[in-house]
Amino acid sequence: MISSSQTETGAATQDETAVDLPWNVVVHNDPINLMSYVTMVFQKVFGYPKEKAEAHMLEVHEKGRSIVWSGAREHAEHYVQTLHGYLLLATMERGQ
Amino acid sequence: MIFYQTPEGRLGFRDIPPVLAEILRQVPTCGDHEDEAVEARLFPPPTEDPLEEGARDDWKAYVQPELHDLFQSARQTVDADLRGLREDGDFFTVEFSTRHVPAWLNALNQARLALAAQYNFDEGELSQPGPLQITNEKELALLQINFYAAVQQWLIETIEE
Repeated sequence: MISSSQTETGAATQDETAVDLPWNVVVHNDPINLMSYVTMVFQKVFGYPKEKAEAHMLEVHEKGRSIVWSGAREHAEHYVQTLHGYLLLATMERGQ
Repeated sequence: MIFYQTPEGRLGFRDIPPVLAEILRQVPTCGDHEDEAVEARLFPPPTEDPLEEGARDDWKAYVQPELHDLFQSARQTVDADLRGLREDGDFFTVEFSTRHVPAWLNALNQARLALAAQYNFDEGELSQPGPLQITNEKELALLQINFYAAVQQWLIETIEE
């Protein structure tokens, strides 16, 4: 038998998990943005080293999308806005 | 057309043929377009999540105006630089500060994206080499997109050095 306090704890944990689920920042492929430009933007926005930025750029190019960052929703919104400022096709989506 | 950097660190293009000078002059106006397809590409939604309708509305109300101002500011910087285009014999020259490179990259990207959306280019058309002869507006748009890409590429390589 589960005590009421245990049940409450369980519910609270479940809520916290839902709130804390990370959001993914996804960059989608478009045929216009130059590969060198996309790499440069990833370096500038996320501070990624060139190799990591290029790997994400190639994933966008070859697979159509790349999750470039995951974390709190507020930060994800900020990154999507910044990426839109560079005219990249970026969205945020709930992490699994 | 030749790209160059001055000893003082300014960037420039010289030996610009008149037709390319005219195409350069159009950078600030290409992105400033009220076409629906252009608007959709320059201001995409932040999420496709069906549960986030409110977030999309907020984005439109609060974020899009900021992006609009950012894009306009980049176009204005480039426009001011392009007013300095000077005739040099049969060709043109323009110079600008390296501090303006982010604005140039942004305005060139706006122009390329806007033209591609406006003329509905697909990936196949964009991967073709530019047309040898310009016979219609769409071919001119492809020439613009490719020319602006070459300028962007040079600017990126220059700031990476």
